[in-house]
Amino acid sequence: MNTALRRAKALILSTPVGAAGLAIVLLYALVALFAPALAPHPPIKAFADSVLAAPDAQFWFGTDGNGMDVFSRILYGARYAFGISIPVLAIGMVCGVPIGLIAGYRGGWVDELALRLMDVLRVFPSIVLALAIVAATGQTLANVVIVIAILDIAVFVRVVRAEVLTLRASGMVDAAINAGNPTWRILLVHLLPNSLRGALAQMPIRMAWAVRVSATLAFIGVGVQVPEPEWGAMIREGSEYVISGEWWVALLPGTALVILVIALSMLGDGLSDLLDPRRAGRAR
Amino acid sequence: MSLLEIDNLHVHFLSRDRLGEPRRARALNGVTFSLDRGEIIGLVGETGAGKSLTAQSVMGMLRPPAHRIAGTITFDGRDLATLPDAEMNAMRGSRIGMVVQSPMTSLDPTARIGAQLVRIQQAHGKIPRQQAEERAIAMLREVGIPDAPRRFAAWPHELSGGMAQRVLIAMALINDPVLLIADEPTTGLDVTVQAQILELLKREMTARGLATLLITHDLGIVAQYCDRVAAMFAGTIVEEGSVADVFAAPRHPYTARLIASAPDRVDLSSRAQFAGAPPDLTALPEGCVYRDRCPRAQSACAIPPPKADFGNGHAAFCHFPEPA
Amino acid sequence: MAVLRLLIRRLFFALPILFGILLLTFLLVRLSGNDPAGVLAGPTATGEDVIRITKQLQLDKPVWQQFIAYVNTLAHGDLGRSWLSDKPVVRELLIRLPATLEMVIGGGILGALIAIPLGLRAALRVNGILDHSSRILSLIGFGAPTIFLGLLLIYVFFYLFGWAPPPMGRLDLLTTAPPTITGSYLIDALLTGNWEAARSAAARLVLPCVCVATVYAAPLIAQTRAVAMDVLASDYARYARACGLPPRDIRRMVWRNTAVPVITYGATELVALFGAAAVLELIFSWGGVSQFGLMAILKGDFAVVQGFTLLMSLIAMAIFAVADIVVMSLDPRARK
Repeated sequence: MNTALRRAKALILSTPVGAAGLAIVLLYALVALFAPALAPHPPIKAFADSVLAAPDAQFWFGTDGNGMDVFSRILYGARYAFGISIPVLAIGMVCGVPIGLIAGYRGGWVDELALRLMDVLRVFPSIVLALAIVAATGQTLANVVIVIAILDIAVFVRVVRAEVLTLRASGMVDAAINAGNPTWRILLVHLLPNSLRGALAQMPIRMAWAVRVSATLAFIGVGVQVPEPEWGAMIREGSEYVISGEWWVALLPGTALVILVIALSMLGDGLSDLLDPRRAGRAR
Repeated sequence: MSLLEIDNLHVHFLSRDRLGEPRRARALNGVTFSLDRGEIIGLVGETGAGKSLTAQSVMGMLRPPAHRIAGTITFDGRDLATLPDAEMNAMRGSRIGMVVQSPMTSLDPTARIGAQLVRIQQAHGKIPRQQAEERAIAMLREVGIPDAPRRFAAWPHELSGGMAQRVLIAMALINDPVLLIADEPTTGLDVTVQAQILELLKREMTARGLATLLITHDLGIVAQYCDRVAAMFAGTIVEEGSVADVFAAPRHPYTARLIASAPDRVDLSSRAQFAGAPPDLTALPEGCVYRDRCPRAQSACAIPPPKADFGNGHAAFCHFPEPA
Repeated sequence: MAVLRLLIRRLFFALPILFGILLLTFLLVRLSGNDPAGVLAGPTATGEDVIRITKQLQLDKPVWQQFIAYVNTLAHGDLGRSWLSDKPVVRELLIRLPATLEMVIGGGILGALIAIPLGLRAALRVNGILDHSSRILSLIGFGAPTIFLGLLLIYVFFYLFGWAPPPMGRLDLLTTAPPTITGSYLIDALLTGNWEAARSAAARLVLPCVCVATVYAAPLIAQTRAVAMDVLASDYARYARACGLPPRDIRRMVWRNTAVPVITYGATELVALFGAAAVLELIFSWGGVSQFGLMAILKGDFAVVQGFTLLMSLIAMAIFAVADIVVMSLDPRARK
């Protein structure tokens, strides 16, 4: 127990930024889980006599244009953030990692095709592409998840492929081939664990990106619609009040969003510090 | 007084491991040797023995996590270890020239060869541009680069490995240094090119009366080109002496084993684990560092070995030196 | 010469990519199950109206025939007419392009001017004050989505301090627009010596450009720092120190070698800015082409959507081509 504690302390000390990020992300996760217990009001209950009320004792973060409690809605919004970004991440990795492995290992036309597809994604502002697809395929939450995930697949393909190429160049793979290992064994035993490290370090960053993009889509009015307690939709609802001074309606959910995104990227920073062998064991 | 005197140099790598515990790798443990003007000393040893680190210490280029813990480096009567940064910088590339391995990646890829040769001259003295360019071309010619005026305008990526190494030699020599440090100057080059580069170095060293510290893991190179040899193991010099003496009768068990295993050509790089695992610098044995791998080790080896002097500058640090 | 070869090669690779994008958007639009004729005809239309429009747009033919017809008109430089306004798509797009370019390029230049020197300095002094503050800046810039950043700036600088003009368009209400030369109000006003319009246009540009700059600078700082640190750890940087080159020469060398990958990366991020611009234009009622395209997507004006995706791809390719030319001028290895 004592050693475990010391290990944890050392881990935190070795990447305090990452540890702080992790703490905040965990806090958000708890909020998402226990939102019904934590929220002082139901998220879509309109208090007709207190529309656009400034933050006070009853409504800690004020109310929005419909008289709904901003604080409660922000708490519930965490559910959307995780509810969208976790499936996005799962789809992105489950599809992206094998494609990247095979593209990097096989090379040839598989690699060429993967590269060209990524080129198409590269010449395109991803948000525009996401929008076009969602608008065309129907504005459901599931479609938003799938579209963001498709963009994520490309990222994981690239990361894993790059790792595989460096591993190939290091001669490790050739040695494994010469030792008579079957292809599946090389892919699963030799390449997957090593290249997964790069993908793993990317996870929080990709999650941050998914949270951001889904909020932006909701802000535009795609996917989640306005009365739902989603941060992007809340910012959209509140944007018209910013110029007249009712800042809390848009800026408080915005702050909740920004803090989560920053915490996730801090976690990503810390994770890549820990997982990157080139950066490990550095003097500090 | 010798040109370069390194006395009891200790360099440690200080870092923390993943659990935050301090780690100390004792990379150099009392390196001591000297080098006279016009003399070529070969520093041999396996990878990780501390050869390059010794060179870096002389150049004043230790970067954290490497720290000089103790010892002095006296060059031309001045202690380099206590020299201010600016003065040390002025010394590098002018009084002390350096040739490194991997010449292809050691030249600035975005500057032409000539520009780099001019730049190093102007860094160490006021010299009119035209004069610097003329000297650069003359220098390229001297190191055997054909068609020097045209190569003057070449980019580094247009050079072969051998050509790039000639350019590095030109860089090292252009400001007329008195000490040359050549850190594995032929590693990675073709065998025929290796010989050409070594001949070139030898010619320049002799013609200019340069003191040279030649770092290599190729004993054949030492035998052929050096006056004296110092063998390193785990950050200590275990034996030194004239090439003739040491090769004829090595006294330290490590050196003996090196030379005995292949009389004419031992390339240590191809046998990174020559006779045992490389020593763990974070947990070196007490006393003699070679103890764990030494066939002759006895309990007395737990105390630091004395210097056994065999005359004519030939010495080994061992409790039980080989008989002559 | 090498530049010309590069451009030809780029064009050669660009054509299939463009074709792919065309096909992709075309299929997406046609197979989406949306009924463009219904959209066009509007809620009050009769069934006959819908049939007439369907015929007019040739929507009754097979999809592949529609695509061939579309590519054919495209080859004649015609993107068709907007389904909503019935004006030529090309004109609708080009008339709005300068507004977006003004904002994105202005903000992009500002962002690069902040990010690159900051990233370099941070790499030269790792763990210094500048390094830490640049990391924080980078985190905030990465974390703050444009929607939040834009609204925050509007609240602080328009509502609280009253320094910024209202976030409604590119010129003050009572200011007349300068004659169109480049399409950028600021540049046109300066060219014609219309100082009042110039002042007004500049004031309106500030907040959107600051947003663009922040979004652009955040990843660019991190990238510049990472590349410069790699360069500093390279063999040639080591050797340069071993040659006793003065710090000034070393800094210049680090910069030259850092510039190449940073420019390539910066081009990719610049392309992404056109997407971020759509949201910013919405917030600032900017009326640029990104906002126009966004609205076309949301309203289902697919003639415009296709023209817009094509325009965006062309802009991206132009940016990559310019980046390549700059890289070639800096890096002899790229000239082979």
